[in-house]
Amino acid sequence: MKRFTFASAAIASAIALPIVLQAARPHYGGTLRIEMPGVIRTFDPVASSVDAAESAARARVLPLVFETLVAADASGGLRPQLATSWEGDRAGQRWRFRIRDAVTLHDGSRLQPAQVAAALRARGRAWKVGVDSDVVVIDPDRAQPDFPWEMADARNAIAIRTATGDLVGSGPFRLEPTEPRRIALGAHEDYWGSRPFVDAVQIAEGRALGDALASLELGRADFVPVRPLDLRRLVQRGLRSVGSRPLETFVLVFEPHRATPSDQLVRRVVATAIDRATLSTVLLQRQSEAAAALLPPWLSGYAPMFQSVSPLSGSAPARTAVASLPPERRALTLRVDAADPLAQAIAERIAVDVREAGITIKVQAPAGLAPRPDVRLLRLTFDATTPDRVLAAIVGTLGARVTSLATNEPAPGAGAPLDAVYRMERALVERDVIVPVVHLPALYGLGERVESWGGPAVWPSGAWNLANMWLRSEPLAEKPEKPHGPDR
Amino acid sequence: MTLRTRLFALVSAAVTVTVVLVTSAVSSSARRAFAALDAQRTAALVAQFRREFEIDGEQIAAGIERLASSDAVLHTAGDLARSRAARAAYVNEATSLAAAQGLDILDLVTDEGTIVSSAQWPARFGYRHSWATAAAAAAGAFLQPVELPGETALGLVAVRKVAAGDGGLFVAGGRRLDRSFLQTLAPPAGTRALLYLNLEPAGSGHQLIDASGRVAQAAPLAPLIARVRESGREASDAIDWPEGSETVTAIPLKGRDGSVLGALLVGSSGRELAALVSRIRWSGVTFGALGLASGFLLSYIVAARVTRPVEQLAESSRTVARGDWDAALDAVPRVHASGEIEELARAFETMTRQLVDQRERLIQTERVAAWRELARRLAHELKNPLFPLRVTIDNLRRAKTLASAEFDEVFDESLTTMTSGLQNLNTVIGRFSDFARMPPPQFAAVSPNDIARESVRLFRAQLDAPGRPAIALTVDLDESLGTVRADAEQLGRAMQNLLLNAIDAMPSGGELAIRTRRAAGAVRIDVSDTGEGLTDEERQRLFTPYYTTKQHGTGLGLAIVQSVVADHGGKIWVDSERGRGATFHIEIPETQG
Repeated sequence: MKRFTFASAAIASAIALPIVLQAARPHYGGTLRIEMPGVIRTFDPVASSVDAAESAARARVLPLVFETLVAADASGGLRPQLATSWEGDRAGQRWRFRIRDAVTLHDGSRLQPAQVAAALRARGRAWKVGVDSDVVVIDPDRAQPDFPWEMADARNAIAIRTATGDLVGSGPFRLEPTEPRRIALGAHEDYWGSRPFVDAVQIAEGRALGDALASLELGRADFVPVRPLDLRRLVQRGLRSVGSRPLETFVLVFEPHRATPSDQLVRRVVATAIDRATLSTVLLQRQSEAAAALLPPWLSGYAPMFQSVSPLSGSAPARTAVASLPPERRALTLRVDAADPLAQAIAERIAVDVREAGITIKVQAPAGLAPRPDVRLLRLTFDATTPDRVLAAIVGTLGARVTSLATNEPAPGAGAPLDAVYRMERALVERDVIVPVVHLPALYGLGERVESWGGPAVWPSGAWNLANMWLRSEPLAEKPEKPHGPDR
Repeated sequence: MTLRTRLFALVSAAVTVTVVLVTSAVSSSARRAFAALDAQRTAALVAQFRREFEIDGEQIAAGIERLASSDAVLHTAGDLARSRAARAAYVNEATSLAAAQGLDILDLVTDEGTIVSSAQWPARFGYRHSWATAAAAAAGAFLQPVELPGETALGLVAVRKVAAGDGGLFVAGGRRLDRSFLQTLAPPAGTRALLYLNLEPAGSGHQLIDASGRVAQAAPLAPLIARVRESGREASDAIDWPEGSETVTAIPLKGRDGSVLGALLVGSSGRELAALVSRIRWSGVTFGALGLASGFLLSYIVAARVTRPVEQLAESSRTVARGDWDAALDAVPRVHASGEIEELARAFETMTRQLVDQRERLIQTERVAAWRELARRLAHELKNPLFPLRVTIDNLRRAKTLASAEFDEVFDESLTTMTSGLQNLNTVIGRFSDFARMPPPQFAAVSPNDIARESVRLFRAQLDAPGRPAIALTVDLDESLGTVRADAEQLGRAMQNLLLNAIDAMPSGGELAIRTRRAAGAVRIDVSDTGEGLTDEERQRLFTPYYTTKQHGTGLGLAIVQSVVADHGGKIWVDSERGRGATFHIEIPETQG
């Protein structure tokens, strides 16, 4: 009997193994279907975005078409892209980028260093851009030791304008004729990094996250952005998720009338009463990190130094002090974006935590006009780049009106030293006018037939690795036995 | 007021009183009936609520029981028992389970009392649940204050424990008692259900809701609510709203410990009742008005029908009074009546016929009497002249023996006497002949003053005759008088008769006055004397032919005057008292234009 069983198992394994191998081997072909909330109005990398959703969409889609000279890698450093190598002088005032040979543009022509220089000059920056053989030489307007990070910015992607006025790139996908609210990308057959596995990518724009998730569940989409709240739902349906490193920070920002010294106690209690650990662990399904600073630890490296700033956290003296305040001083109106369910969920949890500390928070998610709030919950989104650039972007997003309530120190510019960034960030959060809550990654749900080869579907920097994604001809026969978190 | 008017008023009043009484009675009866119906309706709604409440409680307890024994909850309980870290995976579990079970409230609570997942307040995970562990022993559903973001609600909830490993998982959930719960009660028209939530230390109007939301005007209900809160027993009150009164019954809603957590208020609006009563009243008024109008019409018809024969009889009476006996007899058979009126009509007819017969007999009698009077008068008038003739003839017969000379003297005297007697006879016969053949008047426009003057002129000589007792003549003529349409000769003769009559009435002298005046479209001629005057009997018979108070009168003078005046469309009458003279008045219509 045992011999029979063993023989049967061996035969079955002999039959199943080729099938499994066949299934695991990347396939060319197919159309990858993506749905996302943003709507891209123009593909010119230089153009500005109308709103945050378009900005996020452009940050992910444009690099598929237009490549930068360098790009952020999985470890937080830079990797070659159109430039195979780069070097700068000691002062960081002149940088030389050696352009990759044999890069074919989407119109079939070869990318020339002169075209790269012309494209960079067209950015309108005060850079001096020259060409030396296969090297593009750039003299920034000031000394920038980390200038290559500037070149990794998607806004500095190389887009070549043809004689007809069209923009062509060198990325793994080329732009196909588009329809309203639908982007069509075709595989770039001559891509220098090898042809993408899929033949085409169709991106449905302007899709609500809930609708996109439903499309993923119904097999109508292969790759959609998801919220941490949706991860369990994906798991229950046997779908996988993938995420970046934290690229967003939720912060509370007090309005000027509650940013006064007399409200310091209330702000302090609010800042310390938030149970960030439970918020991250439970509500955000372990996909987030408790935030004590504006920049996530993986970007700044100094975040642990902010952990000790909670002397009044949940303490009885603080509660007693708060209880002695007039009721109107203990009541806050927290405004969140009505179109952001995740922000609303976080706000509700903050309200529960703060309520335990004796402060009442009324969450307000107005669709139109509403009474003046006391505090806002903002979602700060940034790119995977250097701390100085991230902080500069955050300060830019918050605006001078908010930052001036927190500190009078000038915001450090790009290339500022890390200690200056630290001091500035410390100053921003010190008065609790700006209260970091959690850092969140960009999360995506993957369809049943989606596989990736040579790396995750989404890089830690948040970039889409669509060139390495391939599609199974048949979905997996079995669901995963055990829920698991997103691939990193 | 005529009989018809009185009858109409009487019948109308009877109809009005009847209609008002009927309308009032119907309105009063309807009000009582509706009040009873309203009480029944309120009682039915209260009973319905109790049934709904019990059914809801049973359904909730059954639903929580099913949920606790479901694979999903058992699986969840198992996972949570195995790993504390697994709580994160189930943070939204209650939301989906509550949606599947149709529950407003659902908490998954560990046996330590920590919330794993909350449907009604998802953000409250990780905190302690205030009542699930304590209420786990409760068998069925119970009322419980439930904390929600920003408020405290009242829930009808049940708790079940799911054992897993060394611990367990409490499933606590139910339905919120709010306006959607009130909407499920579907109170009948005119009633409403309100819910008071006694979840704050002091009574607050803000916690009073109805099916559409918070009740703005809660103050009038506050005393009733306070009474129920304090006593914990059902109570009722009549609440006066600006729109009308409302009977409100408040039912206490108690929690597990017997405390009053709320009250269901069942209101039965008096407005509906008032509207119905008002509608009935107005219907009564409308139908009453129609009834009154119909009654008035009917009473008019009845009054007319009843009084028409009476009026016809009255008209016939007036006809009889006017002397038109034949017309009255013709009219009586046309009186359509029945019963007493018919008998009255027949009696009237009989009476009229008897009157006609009596009149005929009276006429016949009078005619006979007239003939007798005529014969007597003729005999008298003829007898006077005949007596001298018979004496003369006897004288002649005796004188035949006398000598011729004496005979001739006697013969001549006899001849003279006979001639005079025959002349007298001729005069008498002439007067009778004149009366018999009164010619029809020849009308022409004549002046009454001229006739009066001419008549006075004819008698002037007689009045002025010497030796005659003096009669003072006064002629007072209105010169503004116009003409009258008359036969001047006949009218003059009438005037002369009156003057002669007046003169005869004053054998010892006196005053004679002739006066003309205008009187209401007629010309009036008055002839007055200061003679002996007339008795009433004389005055009544004065114009009867052949009636006279004179020793030698024929009794035809005033009869002729009356005949002439009548032929001219006028009238004659006399005012007189015994000893004060007499005044004869003649009125002749004045010529128009």
